[in-house]
Amino acid sequence: MEALDRDLEGSEVELPVEPMLINVGPSHPAMHGTVRVVMELSGESIARCDVQVGYLHRGFEKMCERGTWTQCYPYVDRCNYVSPMLNNVGFSLACEKLLGVEVPERCQWYRMALGELARISDHLTCDGAMAMELGAFTPFLWMMKCREMVWEILEEETGARLTHSFGRVGGMAKPPTADFKPHVTAAVEHILQVLGEVERLLYGNRIFLDRLENVGVIRTEDAISLGWTGPALRACGVPYDVRRAAPYLRYGEVEFEVPVGTRGDCLDRFLVRIEEIKQSARILAQCVRRMPDDGPVNVDDPRVVLPEKGDVYSTIEGTIRHFKIVMEGLKLPAGEVYSYTEGGNGEMGFYLVSDGSGTPWRVRIRPPCFYVTGGLEHLITGHMLADVVPCFGSLNMIGGECDR
Amino acid sequence: MGTLILLALLKAFTVVVMLGLNIAGLLTWADRRQRAVIQDSIGPNRAVAFLPAHVVKALVGAPAVLVAGAVIALQLVAPPDAGGRTARAVVLSQLFILVGWLTLLGIGGAVRTRGVRSSFDAWVASAGDPRKFVYLGFAAHGVTALLGLSLRGTEIGRTLRDFGYGAGAFLLAGAVLGGAVYTIVHLRGDTVGLRVAGLLHPAADGLKSVFKEDFVPPNADKFLHGLAPMISLFPALVVMAVVPFGDTLCFGVGANDTLDLGRLAAYVPRDGVCSEGAVKLQALDLNVGILYFFALAGTGIVGAALAGWASNNKFSLLGGLRAASQMVSYEVTLGLTIVGCIMIYGTVRLDEMVRWQVEHGWGIFVQPFAFVLFLTAAIAESKRIPFDMPEGESEIVAGYYTEYSGMKFAMFFFAEYVAIVTASALVVVLFLGGWHVPFLDRAGLHVAVGGSVLFSQPLPHAVVILLGFLGFVLKVVGMCWVQLTIRWTLPRFRYDQLMQLGWRKLLPASLLNILVTALVVLALQQASGTVQSALRTLGDATHALVAALGLVGAIAFFRLLLSPARKRRFLETSAARYAASRGGTRSATMQA
Repeated sequence: MEALDRDLEGSEVELPVEPMLINVGPSHPAMHGTVRVVMELSGESIARCDVQVGYLHRGFEKMCERGTWTQCYPYVDRCNYVSPMLNNVGFSLACEKLLGVEVPERCQWYRMALGELARISDHLTCDGAMAMELGAFTPFLWMMKCREMVWEILEEETGARLTHSFGRVGGMAKPPTADFKPHVTAAVEHILQVLGEVERLLYGNRIFLDRLENVGVIRTEDAISLGWTGPALRACGVPYDVRRAAPYLRYGEVEFEVPVGTRGDCLDRFLVRIEEIKQSARILAQCVRRMPDDGPVNVDDPRVVLPEKGDVYSTIEGTIRHFKIVMEGLKLPAGEVYSYTEGGNGEMGFYLVSDGSGTPWRVRIRPPCFYVTGGLEHLITGHMLADVVPCFGSLNMIGGECDR
Repeated sequence: MGTLILLALLKAFTVVVMLGLNIAGLLTWADRRQRAVIQDSIGPNRAVAFLPAHVVKALVGAPAVLVAGAVIALQLVAPPDAGGRTARAVVLSQLFILVGWLTLLGIGGAVRTRGVRSSFDAWVASAGDPRKFVYLGFAAHGVTALLGLSLRGTEIGRTLRDFGYGAGAFLLAGAVLGGAVYTIVHLRGDTVGLRVAGLLHPAADGLKSVFKEDFVPPNADKFLHGLAPMISLFPALVVMAVVPFGDTLCFGVGANDTLDLGRLAAYVPRDGVCSEGAVKLQALDLNVGILYFFALAGTGIVGAALAGWASNNKFSLLGGLRAASQMVSYEVTLGLTIVGCIMIYGTVRLDEMVRWQVEHGWGIFVQPFAFVLFLTAAIAESKRIPFDMPEGESEIVAGYYTEYSGMKFAMFFFAEYVAIVTASALVVVLFLGGWHVPFLDRAGLHVAVGGSVLFSQPLPHAVVILLGFLGFVLKVVGMCWVQLTIRWTLPRFRYDQLMQLGWRKLLPASLLNILVTALVVLALQQASGTVQSALRTLGDATHALVAALGLVGAIAFFRLLLSPARKRRFLETSAARYAASRGGTRSATMQA
């Protein structure tokens, strides 16, 4: 084996130097429980490393092929489990694209608002966890408290804190509650306030900046060729945001900016996420302003949407409709579709193939963080062991989404 | 002399074991509490230990009866002579007021949480906010003291004194017993939750760790694995031994070499040196002083390094190596920053360092730069965030104690907290005047700036020493608080950044500090008398500054302590409403 301790090379000293092989993960505090990185350490710096994903593989894509289209929702919920609502919305949009329907305006604003709340919770978790793993525990708990508010709202809307399964093909499971708008307004105001406190605590902190600046730098070309999307790509200076590049729902009508970084290091990825929370708050304010207070949420199509419960129990048409949708599933026309939305970590794509039978023939999920994690090896090789923590943290690998 | 040896042993035990270990326990609590305050979450102050009601009754009743009995017995058996009556009257009345408002405060708080049960409760509740009792109590303390001072020597004053002297003991005993009886009567149920601000929680943690499984990795070196925690804890504890925690206590020596305790109540002269019966409030009076600290602190490194090596775990090994290199590096800075102090103080003995500061002004004013450097290096020595590389929770799991469990782990844990206390104590002794309270000398309060005396009040020897000791403890607590706050605010360094900070920044800075200090010391030795006396006045001014800052700080602290916690609810979800309607408390998450 070649000498890995570069300082010793060519010198007179002949010590039996061997690199230390060390397994970081899959059960390691910084690995979020689901990744293994095999490292060859020379002292504290990483001479070579191998990132191994797949420890959270649960076969979701395959499992989707045995139920109805609606029964996929619990699976997509559990992909990016930090922002499940974004997956719900993304999957609904894919199915609707295949079906050729568009949900009413109220539902579109509602989906956007719920999605932006989920994005806020995603970014808060990522940045908070990143700070915590660097030893700054306080901002983490402050951010978790904010996330708790988001989850409280989502619980109020959907009945579940984490795995909402709230999306439906052709609408949502329930219309917005009466308190939705005041809740969002109050929570967003508080979150922005806490974000200001976090910024004051971290941005002026030399230690924090030194840990992130020029650590885990990736060139823009490399990021693009690796297939990076989302905040990680935007931190390299590429303003690619699906919400802006290929607007869906009403994203074409709202004002928001796409924050980009300049250096593509960990600090840029951290800052881009913080800035995106603020942009999400902006979008939320516009959603609250423009979402109609009444009107239908689901499309007016009896083949797609479940009838009212009252009709199911009192009319024969309702009963039959309910029976057909529940037992046979929606009949999505035969064909294939690729639909993509901006998830928490980037382009969240769904490639659906239907044979028209009511059961998915293929559900292929494009998880943004699978591609992002592919760059981890590149980011950390040559750095020190401690740098793995911010690099990995800033990529925001979510095991459920990456491994599916 | 036998008594003196006994006293010395008692002192060593008290300081090293009781102070060190108990403060570590208390500090664990304080650490968690500080975290809760900064992070706006629930702290450990809600932990409750359940005790049988009759045990609690005995625990409350017995000491109250003992205290009340002792006060009355003292009054009846050993009445003071005419001169001592005033002192006795002052002490008794002040104690009565203290016990009175504390009892009322406790009852007021209890009534507010559990509701009114009797007419007395209703009367207490009618006062409104229980905090009023605190203000009233302080006002009563002040008024009594002022009355005593202004009426001294007059006829009314004598009457008041006789009243205070005659009835004070019974009032005090009554207040103590009354509070106890009230508590006992109002105990409900078979068990009583003892909260004590959650202080029992760390105690329970310590007890629990004794009974936990002691895991040793299969291929570990069993002997060294067991030895490492002891080597870590031992130096941290025994360093406390050289720290002086009070001024020299003067006992008189009576006939047959017995100690004359009466001297404690007497007044000693300002520059009085005890000829005999002197007891230094310092467990070990070594002539090497601060060097002893460095010798032992160096040993602590061995513990961490051994633990890392003996665990047969790669993460532990990394942690052990980090610990060794980090502590050795910062030891250098730690040692060099002290050199400036030693040059100025002209001694390595810690008690003489304090004496110099009493005379000339605190070390933080003469060596401000060294203070910052020393504090930084001391935090690095205690291996806490931002210098917790050896543990590096998210990087190397738990560093050198990854493979430790049970009491062995707890010993590392304790060593860390004891190290905080010893570091704080050293900072206090070296830079914050040790036991010195501004304007308090061996004779009593003596406010003087330059040559002019502004105020002078002689105090008994025991009171002076006690105030000094309290001052020392408060300063140590303050320094601990500073360290805890740093711990919960800063992220951690990277290993190479840490080394760069140590060798490229702190080390040159401390060398520069030595150079500048040497030049200044040389220059001052050549300086004229005017400059010397001007410096002397400046030193007194720093004492005045410290006194003023201390006063402001104390007032601010009490204001903070007494300010009610404000919670604002801004989101009310249906789940919260439902829980509230069922008497639940699902409101915590949505408050801020």
